[in-house]
Amino acid sequence: MPTDIGSVLIQLFSGLSRAMMLFLLSSGLSLIFGVMNILNFAHATLWLVGGYLTYTLFQLFSNTFGDNALFIAPAIIIATGAMFVLGWALERFVVRRMYQREVPEQLLLTFALILIFGDLIKLIWGVQNRRIFLPIEPVEVFDSYINPYFFVIIAAGCGVAAGLWWFLHRTRYGKIVRAAVYSREMVSALGIRIPTIYAGVFGLGVGIAAFSAGVFLPIVPIGLGLDMDLIVQCFAVVVIGGFGSILGTFVASIIVGIVYSFSIFIWPGGALAVIFLILVAVLIWRPWGLFGTEMRY
Amino acid sequence: MLSSAGGEKNRGFIIGFYRRVGLSGTVAITLGLGFLLVPLLPGEFPVIVAVEILILGLFAMSFNLIYGYMGQVSFGHAAFFGLGAYGTALLFRAFQAATGEIGYLDFFLSLSIAIPVSAIGALVVGFFCVRLTGIYFALLTLAFGELLFYVVFSWYGFTGGDDGIQGLLPPPFFRNAVNYYYFTLAVVTIAVAFLWRITQSPFGYSLRMLRENQQRAAFLGINVRLCMLMNFMIAGTFAGIAGALWGPFQRSVSPVLLGWMESGIAVFMTLIGGAGFFAGPMVGSVIYTALNAYVTRFTVYWPLTIGIIILVLVLFVPGGVLSVVDARIAAYRHRRQPNADLLKVSADRQESSQ
Repeated sequence: MPTDIGSVLIQLFSGLSRAMMLFLLSSGLSLIFGVMNILNFAHATLWLVGGYLTYTLFQLFSNTFGDNALFIAPAIIIATGAMFVLGWALERFVVRRMYQREVPEQLLLTFALILIFGDLIKLIWGVQNRRIFLPIEPVEVFDSYINPYFFVIIAAGCGVAAGLWWFLHRTRYGKIVRAAVYSREMVSALGIRIPTIYAGVFGLGVGIAAFSAGVFLPIVPIGLGLDMDLIVQCFAVVVIGGFGSILGTFVASIIVGIVYSFSIFIWPGGALAVIFLILVAVLIWRPWGLFGTEMRY
Repeated sequence: MLSSAGGEKNRGFIIGFYRRVGLSGTVAITLGLGFLLVPLLPGEFPVIVAVEILILGLFAMSFNLIYGYMGQVSFGHAAFFGLGAYGTALLFRAFQAATGEIGYLDFFLSLSIAIPVSAIGALVVGFFCVRLTGIYFALLTLAFGELLFYVVFSWYGFTGGDDGIQGLLPPPFFRNAVNYYYFTLAVVTIAVAFLWRITQSPFGYSLRMLRENQQRAAFLGINVRLCMLMNFMIAGTFAGIAGALWGPFQRSVSPVLLGWMESGIAVFMTLIGGAGFFAGPMVGSVIYTALNAYVTRFTVYWPLTIGIIILVLVLFVPGGVLSVVDARIAAYRHRRQPNADLLKVSADRQESSQ
């Protein structure tokens, strides 16, 4: 364990920023599962697509208008919008056909999407080697210290969390989405077009994922294979927090992020084993998660 | 028997045979004959692909004991495949270190250690998992699988960490691909025969009952948790046997064998072949592994190709390849003799409702 306050603080902030990424990724996953009952294995792969898209846009802006770190903001916004549209289209043309099927078949479908999108990434951004990590331009705003960027990430994560909460609890559409979690038949009987809600929620989840990928580009180099590691950690977060609970996902992300960054000191390399130990314990003790309700089985 | 006229005799024989052994039996006999003849194909490549088909097929069939028969999805089944592989590999390496080169007795001993290792692993994991059902069962098996994966992945002193264990060179006789292939074929055939016996036993029928309605099964006096635990252990053990064969075949083991992607392969093979059929996972293994092996040869974009094939299969062939074949045969028979079908329907469809 580190003893001086400086390294503890560094671990704390890196853990918190990691928590924010996990939260942004898992909240979409949790929302999609809560509303449509689909466990989207391809979520992290779509996150990766969003990240690459942001990277390309950033490069494009830098090449046409000259280097400026602030170009990352429009790049993230455009990539998020594009990924929202992609998510919408995926739900509309592919995922929608699977609602009546069993869970494993849905997983098989999303697994096929992982393979397809993973290979498309390789086709567009990568070369022959699947495991290649694209060199991503570091944003040199905060020259030697990268730490201040952690605060940007934490602020962005909290901002999205607050925005999501506001959307779900204070707006008409958000209330419809929450109602659809409880009873889609009733919502549909009230004359609300459920398919539109589904496509919107899927797009929203994918959009948030793309946003988090963009925000993280300056500190985390992305590459194929990262999506496979992340998706199971996201499942861990969603389950520990409880399905469909945004608050639970937020708290679980912080637990997982902090525990991860501190267990690296104790058992480097085994930090993820600690995460899954927590997951096992939660599933045995409270299968529905810390903040979930024993609703769906 | 359907045949009366001479020209119809052959077809009548085929249909009668089919009636006797069912779809899975027909598939098993066809596959078995096919497997025996694989080494006649030119080159070593088909034999290597066939070994992979057999091992992964046994792995998928053991998974189907949990999914197709008991009605639960295990997303950490590769943990037992990996435990078996690592148990074998570790003992294998110990023998190698002691004697320089591994002898035949040591080789068989290190293969059979996989059975207790994976059985005990499955007993411990299963003890917790059988308390849950549905999505929580799937997630807990996934969590245990990933836990074991990361333990193996980071325990350099014992398991070799992410490097895995290399240099598992079997004794001289088994170094020949064809010899190892026939050895694998024999082991897998025996294992499949055991699996068939288990699914046809009263215990196997209790499993089907657990799938349909756990509460009703409990009312009828079935000890639900014990039954699930036993099945989990049996399935884990057979996955371990498949894993044991894997190490000497690849000459190495790596932590990837325990990861969720490997578990996913069992799920996907089962779904592609047809979870409702005993032979389904093996058919899925033939399709998936052969595609994997041969598509890789023709294009560097094999994940894209396989992804699109899986997408098409899952969207348009629900229930797997065998259920489509089954439906076609039923339709054909119905066209020929509508009334006979009405009488026979329950007996014939018994297997497809497995």
